[in-house]
Amino acid sequence: MVRPAMSEEGHRPDPQDSEESEQDRIDAEHRGFANAAWSIPSYILSGMAVYGGLGWLLDRWLGTSALFPIGILVGLALALYLVFHRYGRTS
Amino acid sequence: MLAEAVNVLAGSDSVTGSLGSVAYGLAAIGPGIGVGIIFGQGVQAIARQPELTNVIRQNMLLGFALTEALALIGFVVPFVHK
Amino acid sequence: MSAPHLLASGSGDEFEAPGLEIFHWGPLFPDGPSWLHWLTKPTLIVALAGLIAIVFAWRAFAGAQLVPRGMQNVGEVAYLFVRDQVARPMLGRDGDRWMPFLFSTFFFILFMNWMGVVPVLYLPVNSHIAFPIVFAIAVYVMMLFLGIKHQGLVGYFKNMMFPPGLPKPLYVILAPIELLSNLILRPFTHSVRLFANMFAGHLLLAFFASVAYWFLVEKLTVLGAGVGIVGFVMTIVMTAFELFIQALQAFIFTLLAASYIQSGLHADH
Repeated sequence: MVRPAMSEEGHRPDPQDSEESEQDRIDAEHRGFANAAWSIPSYILSGMAVYGGLGWLLDRWLGTSALFPIGILVGLALALYLVFHRYGRTS
Repeated sequence: MLAEAVNVLAGSDSVTGSLGSVAYGLAAIGPGIGVGIIFGQGVQAIARQPELTNVIRQNMLLGFALTEALALIGFVVPFVHK
Repeated sequence: MSAPHLLASGSGDEFEAPGLEIFHWGPLFPDGPSWLHWLTKPTLIVALAGLIAIVFAWRAFAGAQLVPRGMQNVGEVAYLFVRDQVARPMLGRDGDRWMPFLFSTFFFILFMNWMGVVPVLYLPVNSHIAFPIVFAIAVYVMMLFLGIKHQGLVGYFKNMMFPPGLPKPLYVILAPIELLSNLILRPFTHSVRLFANMFAGHLLLAFFASVAYWFLVEKLTVLGAGVGIVGFVMTIVMTAFELFIQALQAFIFTLLAASYIQSGLHADH
């Protein structure tokens, strides 16, 4: 008596069903979007950290003070380029 | 009594503490509003035209990246400009 | 562990907002034997939260019947929530295999966070960064292990550092960004998200509660009473809001853990 209601509740059909692959495709797309949205801030932060850090080290070595902000901006631009390349393709 | 209330409401007449944190708090307002608008309008667009979901999601991500970059610039400015 | 110290930190006539000192907890029994000094309020709450999670799962799933009754109803709703919202969307066909880990992670963190609004305890343990860091490192080590096991040592780092389709010279410039982002900032942001939300939420609650206590109990004046009432109302509103945020952060932490496990199992294209 309980069985039919329960199997109806699970929205996933049998593995043999063709709708399973459709569900898999939707899941994969959703997963890609979620992964991208969560990893964008860390890409931008790491771009700024790598090239800002490089600029900071060069500043200490050469005794200048302009390379740190320039490095941060360059890293920001590179990280944005990477993000656009990874997630911005129209497939 | 009155002076105490004014003190609580207005703090003192100058900002003390870490100015960098205050600056980041101010700098996060704009990107916060921006990210909210991007995802809100994106969800609305997907609800209106589900067949364009992929294109809308990509553009959401790109807009989000640009807006987030502003917030993170605000995060590093206190380190650069001491 | 004195309550007045927590509620009104200022000793003078002026109101002082609670600061970082509300996160510093010494040994629970400072006069007790020295082998008991590890027992602080946070460790006590962690043990309590773990115990609650164990009892919850035990009551729900020990001797499960076909027609659920009592705690098993709650347990099945909780299980379905984690499975359909976290495991299956993020891990796909591998989702059900990872359910034991995801379910226990979600509920352990959820109970630890909710301790922040339980009267008398009032401390979300994750507002100490040590606890989220340990969870994040556990997930991180698992991700590295799975990645090296399923994609090979070289293949894993190649998939991580070199996204296909870029001109060759750019790889030299972009690979460090990828490496730092995936290997160092991932566990960092993973733990800091949970930590910062719990930290700020606890500070906010303590601030409004101490405003209410100071203006309504310690220094009751006609003008100050209005501020005190605002603080009192905001304490109640913020407690409800914190309940929601604490559940949301536990959910997001589990979601990201599932996402990182998935990134170890399969290379993203």
